[in-house]
Amino acid sequence: MAARGTGGSFTVWWVLVVAQLREQPVRLLVTVLAIALGVALGAAVYLTNTAALAEFGSATKRLFGDADVVVRGPRDGYSEDLFVQLARDPAVAMASPVLELEVALPGRRDTLKVLGLDPFRAAALQPALIGEIGAHLTELLAGNGILLSDSAARELDLRRGGTLPVSVGSGTRILKVLDVLSPAAYPQPLGLMDVAAAQWAFGRIGRLDRIDLRLNPGVDAERYRRDLAERLPAGVLAVAPEVERDRAVSLTRAYRLNLNMLALVALLTGALLVFSTQSLSVLRRRRSLGLLRALGVTRGQLQRALVGEGAALGALGALLGVVLGTFMAALMLRLLSGDLGNGQLRVLGVALHLAPLPMLGFCAIGTVVAGFGGWVPARAAALQPAARSLKGGDQDYTVGHSSTLLGVALLSAGAALAFLPRLAGLPLFGYASVAALLFGAVLLVPALTAWLLKLTPRSGRVVLDTAVAQLRGNVALSTLSLACIIVSFSLMVAMAIMVYSFRDSFDRWLGKLLPADIQLREPVGNDTAFLSDGDQARIAAVVGVGRVEFRRTRQLYLDPARAPVTLVARDMPGPPADNLPLVQSAPPQLQTGASAAWISEGFQDLYGYRIGDPLSLPVAGRQARFVIAGIWRDYARTTGAVVITRRAYVALSGDRSATEGSVWLDGRASAAAVDAGIRSALAGGGTLEIFASTAIRERSLQIFDRAFAITYALEAIAVLIGLAGVSFAASSTALARRAEFGMLRHVGMLRRQVVGMLAGEGILMSLFGVAYGLALGAVLSLVLVYVINRQSFNWSIDLAVPWWQLGLLSVTLVLAAALTAIWSGRAAMSAEALRAVREDW
Amino acid sequence: MSARALAGLLGAFAGAWVGTVAGAPLGTPVDVPVGTPLTVPAAAAGAAPAASARRYATVLPGHALEFPRDFGSHPQFRTEWWYVTGWLQTRKGELLGFQITFFRTRPDVDETNPSAFTPHQLLIAHCAVSDPTRGRLWQDQRIRRAGLGLAQAREGDTEVWIDDWRLQRRGADYSARLAADGFALNLTLSATRPPMENGQSGFSRKGPAAESASYYYSIPQMQIAGSLTRAGKTDPVVGTAWFDHEWSSDYLDPGATGWDWIGINLDDGGALMAFRIRGAGGETRWAGGTLERPDGRVRTLDAADIDFTPARRWLSPRTGIAYPVVWHVRAGPETIDLEPLMDDQENDTRLTTGAVYWEGAVRALRGGLPVGRGYLELTGYGERLRIR
Amino acid sequence: MWTPPEARGAVTDTPVLHIEGLCRRFRADRPPILEGINLTLRQGEYLAIMGESGVGKSTLLNLLAGLDRPDAGRVVLEGADLSALDDDAATLLRRRAVGFVFQAFHVLPYLTVEQNVALPLELLSMPQPERGRRTAEMLDAVGIAALAKRPARELSGGEVQRVAIARALVHRPRLVLADEPTGNLDPRSASQILDLLRAQIKSSAGAGILITHSRTAAETADRILVLDANGLGPRASA
Repeated sequence: MAARGTGGSFTVWWVLVVAQLREQPVRLLVTVLAIALGVALGAAVYLTNTAALAEFGSATKRLFGDADVVVRGPRDGYSEDLFVQLARDPAVAMASPVLELEVALPGRRDTLKVLGLDPFRAAALQPALIGEIGAHLTELLAGNGILLSDSAARELDLRRGGTLPVSVGSGTRILKVLDVLSPAAYPQPLGLMDVAAAQWAFGRIGRLDRIDLRLNPGVDAERYRRDLAERLPAGVLAVAPEVERDRAVSLTRAYRLNLNMLALVALLTGALLVFSTQSLSVLRRRRSLGLLRALGVTRGQLQRALVGEGAALGALGALLGVVLGTFMAALMLRLLSGDLGNGQLRVLGVALHLAPLPMLGFCAIGTVVAGFGGWVPARAAALQPAARSLKGGDQDYTVGHSSTLLGVALLSAGAALAFLPRLAGLPLFGYASVAALLFGAVLLVPALTAWLLKLTPRSGRVVLDTAVAQLRGNVALSTLSLACIIVSFSLMVAMAIMVYSFRDSFDRWLGKLLPADIQLREPVGNDTAFLSDGDQARIAAVVGVGRVEFRRTRQLYLDPARAPVTLVARDMPGPPADNLPLVQSAPPQLQTGASAAWISEGFQDLYGYRIGDPLSLPVAGRQARFVIAGIWRDYARTTGAVVITRRAYVALSGDRSATEGSVWLDGRASAAAVDAGIRSALAGGGTLEIFASTAIRERSLQIFDRAFAITYALEAIAVLIGLAGVSFAASSTALARRAEFGMLRHVGMLRRQVVGMLAGEGILMSLFGVAYGLALGAVLSLVLVYVINRQSFNWSIDLAVPWWQLGLLSVTLVLAAALTAIWSGRAAMSAEALRAVREDW
Repeated sequence: MSARALAGLLGAFAGAWVGTVAGAPLGTPVDVPVGTPLTVPAAAAGAAPAASARRYATVLPGHALEFPRDFGSHPQFRTEWWYVTGWLQTRKGELLGFQITFFRTRPDVDETNPSAFTPHQLLIAHCAVSDPTRGRLWQDQRIRRAGLGLAQAREGDTEVWIDDWRLQRRGADYSARLAADGFALNLTLSATRPPMENGQSGFSRKGPAAESASYYYSIPQMQIAGSLTRAGKTDPVVGTAWFDHEWSSDYLDPGATGWDWIGINLDDGGALMAFRIRGAGGETRWAGGTLERPDGRVRTLDAADIDFTPARRWLSPRTGIAYPVVWHVRAGPETIDLEPLMDDQENDTRLTTGAVYWEGAVRALRGGLPVGRGYLELTGYGERLRIR
Repeated sequence: MWTPPEARGAVTDTPVLHIEGLCRRFRADRPPILEGINLTLRQGEYLAIMGESGVGKSTLLNLLAGLDRPDAGRVVLEGADLSALDDDAATLLRRRAVGFVFQAFHVLPYLTVEQNVALPLELLSMPQPERGRRTAEMLDAVGIAALAKRPARELSGGEVQRVAIARALVHRPRLVLADEPTGNLDPRSASQILDLLRAQIKSSAGAGILITHSRTAAETADRILVLDANGLGPRASA
C-alpha cells in the first residue's frame, strides 16, 4: 500500500527514464523532435495567423472606426444622394461619405487602396485614421493631393512632395504626395484623399461606394440596419462593421484550417512515434518491468511511470516545438505576408505577438498526445502478469478482436462522414472522415498483417522463410513500425493525388480560359483603370489583331456577410461550352438570350443555386433578372463569379468599358509586334497588362507549384518521421534479436544472409506498408478531392493519379525501409553482439 | 497672432479631432486668423494653386451696408462670422452666459472640380454655456464643408447651418438651435432696433494697414426667449443677447498677437463695443469701438478713445495661463469696470485644437454698481504654450 | 550435386580439431585471457573442458568455432586453418562441420520445432524430402518427435535443449560444441540431456567438446581437461 505513494512512482519513473536515456539517446531525441515538429508547426501556423488577423482586424478597425453601420454598394458605387438622405436621417448622428477604391498604378500589378473621404465627418468615426491629416488639411481640400500611409510610401518608394501617377480609364493622372502618415496611423498600404478630389480624379463625380454611419444613442443598430436594408437601392447593403472585418477573416478560414490539419498530422505522427517507441521499449524492458512488479511496484505505479515517460517526451518536445514554432512564425511573417502566402489577406509588416496562454495550450496538447501515445503500451505492460514478464519469453501482444472491430467501425464512420455537408462553412466532417479512415485503417493493420503473412507461401529459401517466420511471429511489433509509415505515407499519397489532380484540372482549365493568343488585363480588382469604347476600337484596329473579345468585370455584393461576387460580362460566340469550362449545362434553349447567366461552382455552393433557377443581380443600381444556364469551374475566385453576356450587360448599364480582353492574332503577326501595336495605340497603355497566353499559363502553373511547395515540404517531413519510426522499430527489434542473430551466425548463417534476412523483413513489411498506404491514400485522396477541397474552396477537381510519382515514392520508401532494417541489423551484429548468444536475457 | 492662429487651426485638424471640435481661435467674433492660415500652408508647400488675395473680395471704405442683403453670407470674402453672445436667466433665477458662433471660410481649392463635395466654403460652429452654479463651461464645436444642403451659409439673409445646428433670421427674430454635446440651446432672439454699424458705416479698421479691415455690424439688446438643456434637463430661459456679423478678406496685420474685445448691453438700453489689437509686447496696435445711446445715437470710437487696463488676473490651474479677467475700460465717455460671471471661462481645446483662450460673460460696473452685462474675449495670452 | 558432409570428412585420418599455441588478448595492457593453448581432438573423441568463471572458456569456444580470431597460434578445423579463412569461408566451414548447443535456450521461438531443427540443413541446401526425413530421424533420436509441429516458444526448458541438440547434430557435424547445455536445467533433465548429447556424439562420426563447470556433467565425457590461468591441462589429481 505504501508503494502507492508518488515518491515510489517517481523513483520508478526515474529509474526507467534514466535507463532509457542512457540506452537510447538518439531515438528519444528524434521522438522529441517529432513531437516538437508537430507542435512547432501548429504553433507557427497559429501565431502567424493570429498576428495577421490581429493586424488585419486592427487595420479594418481603423478603416471603419466607430461606425455602427456601413452602407456598401457594388464596386462601381451608388449616387451620393443616398448620403444626403442618410445624413439627414434623424436616427443618424454622423454620416461619413467614402469613396473606397482599389486604384491601378501604372507599371504595377497590385493596386493601392485609396479612401476618398470628408475629413470633417470621418474625424468623428475614424479619429485614429484622420488624426494626422490635420496638418495638411488645406492642401488636401485644395484637390489633387494624397496622403500615403507609411507602408504605402515605402512600397511605392515615395516621399513627401513626390508624385504618384494613377491610372484612370486608360489614361494617367498625377497626384501629389502631401505627406506620409506615421506608421501608427495606419499600418497597411493606403492613400487618403478628400472625397471631392477623389470623385474628380477617378471619374466618380456624384458617386460614393461606402457611407459610414454612427447612430444616435438609443437607436437599435441591428433594427436600424434591417430597416435601412429595405430602403436601399439594389446592390447596396447595410452592413455591421464587424461583418466587414469577419468577411476578410472568413476568407482565409479554410486555408488556415488546412494548415492546422497539417500540423495536427505532424503531431499525430509524433504521437504514433511515441507509441511505437514506448511499445518497443516496453517490450525490451519487459524483464526489468517484471522485476519492478516483483519487487512490489504496483500496476498503477508502473503504468503511471510509463505514461509519464511518454508525457515527459511530449512535454520536452512540445516545449521545444513552441520555441521552434515562434521562430518559424517570426520567419514566416518576415518572408511571406501574414496570410501564409495564400494572398487573400493583404497585410504587410505584421508584428509577431507572443501568446503565452495559447502556447501553453500547445505545450499541453503535445504532452497529452505523447502521453496518450505512451498510455497504450503502458497499459499493456502493466496488465502483463509479472511472472510472465520475468520469464521474458518473446510473447507477443496478441491481435485483439476488439481493435479490429473498432477499426472496421471507424472505417465505416469515415466513409459515412465523407457524405456530410460542411459545418460552419468548413469541411470539418471531411477532416473527421479522414481521421476516422486513418485510425480505422491503422487499427486493421495487425489483423491484415497477420492474415497476409499467413497467406505467404514458403519460398524454400531459408533467408526469406526465416524472415517471414520472424514477421509472422511478431505481428504486433511489425505493426508498430508499420503504423508510422502507413499514416505518413498514406497522407503523402492522398496529398500527391490531390495536388496532381488539382494541377491537372487547373492546367486544362487554363487552356479553356486562355484560348486566344494574347490576353489583355487591367490590374485585377482595380476600380479605376479600364478600356473605354474608343480604346477597344483602337485595339481592334491594331495591325495583326485578327479577332478580339472584351470583358468587363464588376464586384457585386449579394450578401452582406460574404465577400463580393465577381460579375463577368463577356462575349459568348458559339455554344457556351466552347467559351467556359462548364461542368453542368442547362438545356440549349436556356443557353441563349440576354437572360442567360452562368455561375461558377463557388457561386453555386455559396448561394445554393441550381441550373434553371432564376437569378436576380444588381446591375447599375437595378435588379436584373437572369436564368442560370450553366455552372462552370472557376479556380480564380473562391468567392463566386457569374458570367453574363456583354450585350446584356451593356443593355442594362450602358457601360461599354472593358477591363480584360482576348486577342487572336491574324496568323502572320507576331505576339510581340501586336503587343507593341496595342501599347502605341493606347499611348503607353497605362496599367494595361499584355501577356501571351502561353506565358500566363506558365506563370500560373509556376505560382501553383510554389503554393504547394510548402505542403510538399511538410508532407516530406511527415514521411521522414514515419521512416524514423520504422528505423527505431527496426533497430529496437534488431537489438532485441541480437541473441537470435548470434545463434544464426553460430549455426552457420553468413553475415550477409542475416543482413539479407533483415532486408527481406524490411522489404516485406515496407512493401505491405506501402501497398496499404497506397490503398489508404487513394481512399483519403477521394475525401480530399471530393469533400475537403470542394468544401474549402468551392471548386471541383477531376481525379487524376500521378502513377510514376507514386511509383517512385513507393520504391524509394521500400528501399529506405530495407536499408534502415539492414543498417540496424548491422549495428546489432557487431563482433560483440555475437557474445549475446551467451547472455541470458 | 497669425503664427499662433495658424498653429491653432492646424492643430484643430491635427488632433485626434473628434468631430465636434472646431478651430480653437474662432469662437471669437474678432477672430480672424483662420483666413490667414488656410492660404499659408498651401503656399509653403508650393502645392496648391498660388494663393492670391485678389481672388477674394476686398473690404473698402465708403461701401454702405444694405439689408437684408448684408444679413446673408458674402462668399466672395475670405472669412465671415455670425456671432451671438448673451446672458440667460432661468425661472429659478440662475444666471448663465452663452455664445454661439457660425464661421465661414473660403479655402483655396480648385473650384473647377464639379464634385458636389468640393469645399468651396467651410463652415465652423462653436457654442458654449457658462454655468456658474455648476462651475463649468459647456462647449461643443463642428466643422463641415458647405454643400449638398447639409451645411450652408445662405446669401441674401441670415441663414447658416451645419447639419442640425442652425442660425436663421425671420423678420426681426433670429432663431438659434444647437443640440450640442451634453447641452442644447433653442433660442429666439428678437431685435429691438436696427443694426448698429461699427466703424465708418460698417467699415471697421483693424490695423495700421489699409487692408486690415472688415465689414462689421452688431445688433445689441436682443431679447431672448427659449430653452436651455443641460444634461438632459430643459429649462425655459429669458435674457439679453448681442449679435455680431463680420466679414473680411484681410483682417489682421502680421504684427498682431491677440486682442481684447467686449460687447456690453448697458442696462439703460445703450450698447458698447470696444476692441484693441495687441502686439507681441502687449502694446496696443489698434483699437476701436462703438457706443450706442438708448436713444439710438451712435458714437464711433477710435484708438484714442479706448483704454483697456487689467485689474485682476486669474491663473488657469489647467494651463498656467494668467488672464486679466477684471478690467478697467475707458471707451470714449464711458468708463466701466468688468467683472466676470465666473473666473473660469477658459476654452481649453489644447487636446484637440492646441489653442486656449478666454471667452466669457462679464458684468459692467460703474462705481461698483452694475450698469450692464456682456461678453469679454481675450486671445493671445497663451503664447508660451507649446502648440503642436 | 549435393553431397552429405559426413561423406566428405570421414575418409581422412586428420584430427577433427587441432590447436596450437593459441593466444588471445582483449586489451594490450592486460595479460592475455588465453595463452599457449594446445589441443588435438580426434574423431570419436568426447572431451570435457572445465574451468572457473572468467578463465576464457567462452573465448576458447568462439576461437574453435571461427567466430573469433586468435592473436597468435592457429586453429585447424577439419584440416583447414581457420585463421587463414575469411569470415564467409569460416562461416561455411562452421555451417558444415560444427554443431552448437548453448546454455540459453536459443531456438527461434516463432518457428516450429521441426523448422528449428531443419535450419542447418536448409542452410546447407539439403533438398526435400531428404531434409524432412533427416529432421524426423533426429527428432525421433532426441525423443521429441511428438512436438515436431509445435512452435518452439511453447516448449519447456528441457524440451528446448533437446531441440538444440537435435539442431546441433542434424547435419552430422564433425565437431559438436556444447556450452553449459544444462546450466539452466534441473538435475534430472540435465542428466537426460547429457546422456543424450553423449549418445548422439558417439553415434555420429564426429567429435565433441563439452564446456562446463559441473564435475558431474564433465564426467559424462571421455576425458576432462581443465582451463585455468596456466592454460589447458589435464585435471589436477586430487
